[in-house]
Amino acid sequence: MTESTATSTVEPILEVTGLVKHFPLTQGILFKKHVGAVRAVDGVDFTLAPGETLGIVGESGCGKSTVAKMLVNLERPTAGSIKYKGEDITKLSGRALKAVRRNIQMVFQDPYTSLNPRMTVGDIIGEPYDIHPEVAPKGDRRRRVQELLDVVGLNPEYVNRYPHQFSGGQRQRIGIARGLALRPEIIVADEPVSALDVSVQAQVINLLERLQGEFGLSYVFIAHDLSIVRHISDRVGVMYLGRIVEIGRDAEIYDHPTHPYTQALLSAVPVPDPEAREHRERIILVGDVPSPTNIPSGCRFRTRCWKAREKCEREVPALAVPAEFRHGAGPAAHASACHFAEEKQVVPPEESLDDQAEGAV
Amino acid sequence: MPEPQPEEPHVSGGQRSAEDGAIASTGLDGTMDLATTEGETLEKGLGNADAGGPADKARSLWSDAWRDLRRNPVFIISALVILFLVVISLWPSLIASGNPLTCDLAKAQQGSQPGHPFGFDGQGCDVYTRTVYGARISISVGVCATLGVALLGSLLGGLAGFFGGISDSFLSRITDVFFAIPVVLGGLVLLSVVTSNSVWPVIGFMVLLGWPQISRIARGSVITAKQNDYVQAARALGASNSRMLLRHITPNAVAPVIVVATIALGTYIALEATLSYLGVGLKPPSVSWGIDISAASPYIRNAPHALLWPSGALAITVLAFIMLGDAVRDALDPKLR
Amino acid sequence: MLLEVRDLRVEFRTRDGIAQAVNGVEYAVDAGQTLAVLGESGSGKSVTAQAIMGILDMPPGRITGGEILFKGRDLLKLKEDERRKIRGAEMAMIFQDALSALNPVLTVGDQLGEMFVVHRGMSGKDARAKAVELMDRVRIPAAKERVRDYPHQFSGGMRQRIMIAMALALEPSLIIADEPTTALDVTVQAQVMDLLAELRRELDMGLILITHDLGVVADVADRIAVMYAGRIVESAPVHDIYKAPAHPYTRGLLDSIPRLDQKGQELYAIKGLPPNLMKIPPGCAFHPRCPMARDVCRTDVPPLYEVTPSDGTRVSACHFWRECLDDRVDGHVNG
Repeated sequence: MTESTATSTVEPILEVTGLVKHFPLTQGILFKKHVGAVRAVDGVDFTLAPGETLGIVGESGCGKSTVAKMLVNLERPTAGSIKYKGEDITKLSGRALKAVRRNIQMVFQDPYTSLNPRMTVGDIIGEPYDIHPEVAPKGDRRRRVQELLDVVGLNPEYVNRYPHQFSGGQRQRIGIARGLALRPEIIVADEPVSALDVSVQAQVINLLERLQGEFGLSYVFIAHDLSIVRHISDRVGVMYLGRIVEIGRDAEIYDHPTHPYTQALLSAVPVPDPEAREHRERIILVGDVPSPTNIPSGCRFRTRCWKAREKCEREVPALAVPAEFRHGAGPAAHASACHFAEEKQVVPPEESLDDQAEGAV
Repeated sequence: MPEPQPEEPHVSGGQRSAEDGAIASTGLDGTMDLATTEGETLEKGLGNADAGGPADKARSLWSDAWRDLRRNPVFIISALVILFLVVISLWPSLIASGNPLTCDLAKAQQGSQPGHPFGFDGQGCDVYTRTVYGARISISVGVCATLGVALLGSLLGGLAGFFGGISDSFLSRITDVFFAIPVVLGGLVLLSVVTSNSVWPVIGFMVLLGWPQISRIARGSVITAKQNDYVQAARALGASNSRMLLRHITPNAVAPVIVVATIALGTYIALEATLSYLGVGLKPPSVSWGIDISAASPYIRNAPHALLWPSGALAITVLAFIMLGDAVRDALDPKLR
Repeated sequence: MLLEVRDLRVEFRTRDGIAQAVNGVEYAVDAGQTLAVLGESGSGKSVTAQAIMGILDMPPGRITGGEILFKGRDLLKLKEDERRKIRGAEMAMIFQDALSALNPVLTVGDQLGEMFVVHRGMSGKDARAKAVELMDRVRIPAAKERVRDYPHQFSGGMRQRIMIAMALALEPSLIIADEPTTALDVTVQAQVMDLLAELRRELDMGLILITHDLGVVADVADRIAVMYAGRIVESAPVHDIYKAPAHPYTRGLLDSIPRLDQKGQELYAIKGLPPNLMKIPPGCAFHPRCPMARDVCRTDVPPLYEVTPSDGTRVSACHFWRECLDDRVDGHVNG
């Protein structure tokens, strides 16, 4: 990990402020009455630097996929702004929106539903050029499509095949090729490998990393698998019930988490090392995630938190560097939305890699 | 149970490649060993040419479907039958020299005899001539009503499913209302005020009562197709609504509509018969299979042939359309190739 | 041995031909032991489990050979009604998708109680009391009130607990859990795995855990059997396998997963794709993807070699297991 990736001096390519998405709950057959709202995303802020990978982790229902959809304009935010190079894209429509869309593309989770089964691979990867004809002249498209197939490691002669003739990993490569077609600057990847077999996941992750270097891409990488997120991300944000509760460099989050939810999440991840199971401390959370229609007051994690006190019920903790770490420059000094943040090491550091992690901060 | 099907879909390259060879022989040399075994499932590797289909001109779903149909015997047979039916309903005199309205009561219920292979019905009319001439009304009622129902129903249902919201709720309630109208009773009431003896009021009535059935199916399959990620992907690329509807949703939502519409075609022909029988559809001197079937049914013991031939023609027609619909649906599904 | 599978062979007839799903699987579980069966989709791990349970769809499935010895009796020689008595009472299964495995129109109390009504002839009232007891046992809060709830009213983790409760109802001596936590979130996954491990100890059951997750395996298993293309490629005590895999497929799997506790460089990726079950490569099925494949691998199917030095509990289906073992010991990680 290099220091240059996330320094504040670099103008962020993407700046998300106060992002909110509420889905209204309605009742009634013809005339709908609002009876509440699913607060899927409830105030999310982050920035993305050029060439950086921001990982967003969280459990199902935490709102991470909704964030992804808003970034690529598949959902309109209820409030907040998404600034791409300083321009708020949530206010755009028509031609201006279409132009921005060229630069922010998405890779979907399920390679079986994200490709139209009735289109050939050539048509799927070439579709971006049909929608944005200014990018490639008509005669050039087929060559470009074949080039893209080659870039993602598929035989360029496969253009006339249909998606069902490919395996899951190959289909995901096709999805990635489609995402690359317009030469975007940002790729939002929503669980891009979770539907794949273990031995194929590594191939796709390596491909994504290679493409990042080759095309200078910035990634927003959304996943529930903390190990994969660590592997690919420069910075990581942890989401819980529609909010980011902790965000920082990967070593800060994984080796020096200060938010109790992050700590619990990390400690729960099974580590492929049977030696570790005897001396690992596991934080087992009680209960389930509350419903996003009925979010607890104050700190939204307090209902499952072993540290919760009265203050947590009253005051919403802000996502900022906690006061006790504010003056140190150590790895614990990163934003964490907890009134009682404290450092706790839950992932046993490997001797050989410990130095490397320390050196990065 | 997910395991037994091999999870990795396999490149069924044999058939395709062999066909490619006929069209464009370029590029086959490198993959000859793989392309020779017809219909064989191929192992494919990543990227590098171990299972390459030759690169010929770009294909689309429709051209592939058409190639597929041309080689499908079910399609060929049903298309020929339908073509034949269309031709004789346009020019019945091509194969029947008599006049369907020339009847001789003296010959009533007589069986087959030279020049009258199908025998005579209860009125002494030639069954062969009447069966041939009856095709026109039955086919035009069946085809026009089905087309009208399918177009109106899938347009309204598809748009409601795609756009959702108030228009969808409104449409759903309207279809509920139409579903509550009993067809025969509705026919008796609505068609009894019509005095003209032409097929159009009958077709209009069928479209009026039939479209909600298709619209409900179209709405459902559009909603299912809409939820697929590939529609989201197209939207994220900036695709327009019409593009999403035409390129992504329609091809994936059309199959159930085709199936139901082709089955409905038979019921419309039968419904025309029912309405005629009740005296509110077409009336003699019109000639239709429906009229003949209902006229012949009282004499089924004495003259079964008078019932058999028009019913047989009806059955073959309905079967041909169902087979055609089935073949088209399969051709539009690349997974079955 | 509680359960011993010997040379089990299962095939499926499909439209495109015969898929050889299981090709001579051998494994064994003892009471109180957890065996993890590790494999990717299509490796035959679930099919083997279904054959043991006797819930394989036949047709299209067909058992073409082998023995399944349960407490010394060959299950494949039993009549269907004898097997039915074993199913549920002596061996039970937990499925991945608890929502579709539970009947949505019956309350969970009815579904749990049904086990006692059918197998033990209890009255409805007693069965309900038993249901509450079971729900308590799998730590569902407020069991007494929730026994009348329907499956959809429970969260994913709670539904999986209900599935576990159903499996435990008659205190079977063997439980087969097919990807029991794959559909769950990490924090809930940890709760459920802990519960399962605890109950296994308490009741001294044998547990077969079918999974693709190497992390989960390391956390709970005593032994691991790794499957590839319908065969066991390696079987060993859990510590041995993670320390030094004796089969290149196992090694590749271990190297290809990113680790939580390290950033790492480029991931090792096993090249190629899992084989087509209609056309399994000759010789060693893994040879087209294997970095150390040689001519003999293309022709000779490797037997299960005993890996030494060990106490005879470790086997590998690799002609060159010794080299594979040494590679790892030398610290060669990323091939």
